[in-house]
Amino acid sequence: MTGEVLITAENVGKRFPLRQGVLHRLSGQPAPAVHALNGVSLEIRRGETLGIVGESGCGKSTLARCLVRLHDCDAGRIVFEGQDIALLQGKVRRAFNRRVQMIFQDPYSSLNPRMKVRGILGEALGVHKMRPAAGIPGRIEELLALVRLNPDAADRYPHEFSGGQRQRIGIARALAVEPEVLVADELVSALDVSVQAQVVNLLLDLQERLHLTVVFVAHDLRLVRHISHRVAVMYLGKVVEIGPTEALFSAPRHPYTRALLDAAPELDPARRSRKVAARGELPSPINLPQGCLFHTRCPHAFDRCRTERPELSPRGTGHLAACHLADFGKPETRT
Amino acid sequence: MTDVTTPMMAARRRRVLPRPLIFGATILLASAVVAVFPAQVAPYDPNAFDYGALLQAPTSAHPMGTDNFGRDVLSRVLHAYTIDMQIAFFATVFPFLFGTVVGALVGYAGGWAEVIFGRIVDAVITFPFLVLVIAIVSVLGPGLVNMYIAVGVVGWVFYARIIAAEVRVQKRLDYADAGRAMGYTHARIIFVHLLPNAITPAIVYWMTDMALAILLGSSLGYLGLGAQPPAAEWGVQIADGKNFMATAWWISVFPGLAIVLTGLGFSLTGDGLAELLRTKR
Amino acid sequence: MTQAPALEVRNLTTTFAGGRLTAVNDVSFTVLPGEVLGLVGESGSGKSVTLRSIMRLLPASGAVSGHVRWQGRDILTMSDADLRGVRGGQISMIFQEPMTALNPVLPVFTQIEENLKAHTDLDRAARAARARDLMDLVGIPDAARRLKEYPHQFSGGMRQRVMIAIALAGNPTLLLADEPTTALDVTIQDQILKLILDLRDELSMSVVLVTHDLGVVAATCDRIAVMYAGRIVETGTVRDVFAQPAHAYTRGLLGSVPHAGTERSMLLSIEGTPPPLDRIPAGCAFNPRCDFATGPCRARVPVLEDLAPGRSVACFNRTAVTAAGSPV
Repeated sequence: MTGEVLITAENVGKRFPLRQGVLHRLSGQPAPAVHALNGVSLEIRRGETLGIVGESGCGKSTLARCLVRLHDCDAGRIVFEGQDIALLQGKVRRAFNRRVQMIFQDPYSSLNPRMKVRGILGEALGVHKMRPAAGIPGRIEELLALVRLNPDAADRYPHEFSGGQRQRIGIARALAVEPEVLVADELVSALDVSVQAQVVNLLLDLQERLHLTVVFVAHDLRLVRHISHRVAVMYLGKVVEIGPTEALFSAPRHPYTRALLDAAPELDPARRSRKVAARGELPSPINLPQGCLFHTRCPHAFDRCRTERPELSPRGTGHLAACHLADFGKPETRT
Repeated sequence: MTDVTTPMMAARRRRVLPRPLIFGATILLASAVVAVFPAQVAPYDPNAFDYGALLQAPTSAHPMGTDNFGRDVLSRVLHAYTIDMQIAFFATVFPFLFGTVVGALVGYAGGWAEVIFGRIVDAVITFPFLVLVIAIVSVLGPGLVNMYIAVGVVGWVFYARIIAAEVRVQKRLDYADAGRAMGYTHARIIFVHLLPNAITPAIVYWMTDMALAILLGSSLGYLGLGAQPPAAEWGVQIADGKNFMATAWWISVFPGLAIVLTGLGFSLTGDGLAELLRTKR
Repeated sequence: MTQAPALEVRNLTTTFAGGRLTAVNDVSFTVLPGEVLGLVGESGSGKSVTLRSIMRLLPASGAVSGHVRWQGRDILTMSDADLRGVRGGQISMIFQEPMTALNPVLPVFTQIEENLKAHTDLDRAARAARARDLMDLVGIPDAARRLKEYPHQFSGGMRQRVMIAIALAGNPTLLLADEPTTALDVTIQDQILKLILDLRDELSMSVVLVTHDLGVVAATCDRIAVMYAGRIVETGTVRDVFAQPAHAYTRGLLGSVPHAGTERSMLLSIEGTPPPLDRIPAGCAFNPRCDFATGPCRARVPVLEDLAPGRSVACFNRTAVTAAGSPV
């Protein structure tokens, strides 16, 4: 995967201020906030699937929403084809929205319950003038076939479909505007295992056929590994490791990635272990730890980790990790 | 192809009308017919004096009796439908429309718009509704149009509050974000997507409000601030009969029953609509 | 395999809505002392209802028949007073969402003590000491202080630990766990699963673990029972079933989970969705989604037959399925 860089996130930060009382506001202390993103940097290349993985509270969904500008970031910037997306206005912004599409996690709330499928797809086609009015019914049929739904689905309401079928409708809506980038936020996590596989297969197939760039945000390591060319691991609003899928999964270079991989149960009963992968719990995103964000749980932490926050640095071809232990997990030295 | 149509889904699509809606709508439809064609259904002229038949108890000639001027109570009750149904509609439709739009905008915008709106709501609900309306009417002068204005000035706040709360809930759902991510305009998201999902409680409230408006119109009529005598209006009629309650109860009781029946029609319709419009997820 | 089972479930059938909906259909299985049995299935498979039926924890509209043998007695027919002694005492249950299973207005200590009062004859001081021990046992640091706190002051993982501490208060010999880690993050899930395994060893409990995640089964269970549309379709040791699934559904489920070495290839998916309770297909309930289905599958319901001791499957075409091999 050596496609050109399509989207760049540069040091992206996002805070969600908490409600505070008058007394606290008068006290002059800094307003408390959830620090959702704390300097995220990554690149998304044309035609690839970038997996973004992490546990709840790691900021992966916030990042996905920033990428399609559902949130505006308050530090750093996101650049799409050389332009800062925060500065896009009017027509240009609408064009950006068309080219970078999002698919949502919850198949039950992401479709307007009062609109038939025909209305949902027709609206997307009409607003972006994808087809002349006469061509819209035909296109709707094509889109439904693309996501493997019957043509008669067009005249039904979302509540008449199962979760998996609704996710297909969500995908069809996104594809209606012929986007180049699909940001899928926990696309299949609400679905039954057997249905997950159908939707994953559909996504893989569509990506090949339509040359899509996919950002696949999920907490399920097995899925992310299956789908992605490259993977970014996030922890407390920061990318701690990013690299080609195989390299990252076979030789993780950050202690958190290692813990995450060890904790994820494998399908092979012979490979079970009784050792706990990571002790402790996620620190509060309101009061972030000093230094490395992972040091409170890291078995390898030393003094420097508690004072200085490590930045991403190269570990191999296209493989970066944010850890003071440059040799951590290095294939030769791995014990 | 993975989807199948099941009998259960088909049944859900062939919605049967909720029973309260059928009853309620029947009452309202009949009321509307009487309101438009009172002269065709009423046996007498509502304002014709008959000094030969003063304060007559209900008979076959006068099923609801006559009042102190010998006017036929049934005819007056039927003619009153014209005014009272008008009051029900015009006293509520402008608050409904205006309140809905304001509420949708406030709920969607949030932030300062919501804070300011909250203060307006507080200011309005601090005063009892009737007192406020009476105050406005006494400044503007009595009469139906001034009553509509008075009710409208205050009433929209309640609709706006309902819609704003509902829109606030709806806008957090993913389909609203999906619209934004699609590049749809705010106006489209508010009025095409959020409002149809948020409006049901306001419609139900509207139905109850129409029933309340009739009561209000009658109260103002009773107080002499609404419809003016000798117009046939239920409140005015009840007021007319108040001196004869002991001897000629029918003058007041039958208009009262008409109010109850119409109110029931609106309430049942509201309940039925709530059931019919319930969002399926 | 001659060990006497700790729990024996025979022909358990649970219906709702006056018998119109069958959630659990003629389910039989045993749990051996000290073993972890994984009950696996997708939504509507009846796995959670099975667990609740064992404890008679069903809404009033549910009707249970069959036998649940526990220490020589049938839980389904015992008196309410006896049942209360078993529930939370010898048999404890933990749930998926600890926040809703815990009482939000009572401090954690009160909730643990409640169970100690009901199932032990410890005095007040002994109960306090035991509560601290239980908190230590489930790995909650600073037990004395945290016992005074309320459920909302605990994180998701810690709440699940509290749930387990309460469950352990009556010294259970069987723990029923209903998706105990589904709401948790993977590193926390790992901690909780390993805690359950450690406790199983220390307290020599048996565990029935209901889950939809085959990875969780592979990592924690000794034996597995796969459920589909209210029936058990396959049982056996985890090793055997994963190595050689004999039911087409088990095979499809295993193939639906991505695993190392097959990156960006099509997964072996199962078409369609699990059937809702009111529309369970005739014959083998899985036949409309099954690649191996033949005539008999549409006509008759296959019964669970033994392949080997402790290994059984309900599939007419098990030879073909077995020959197709395991996708993992």
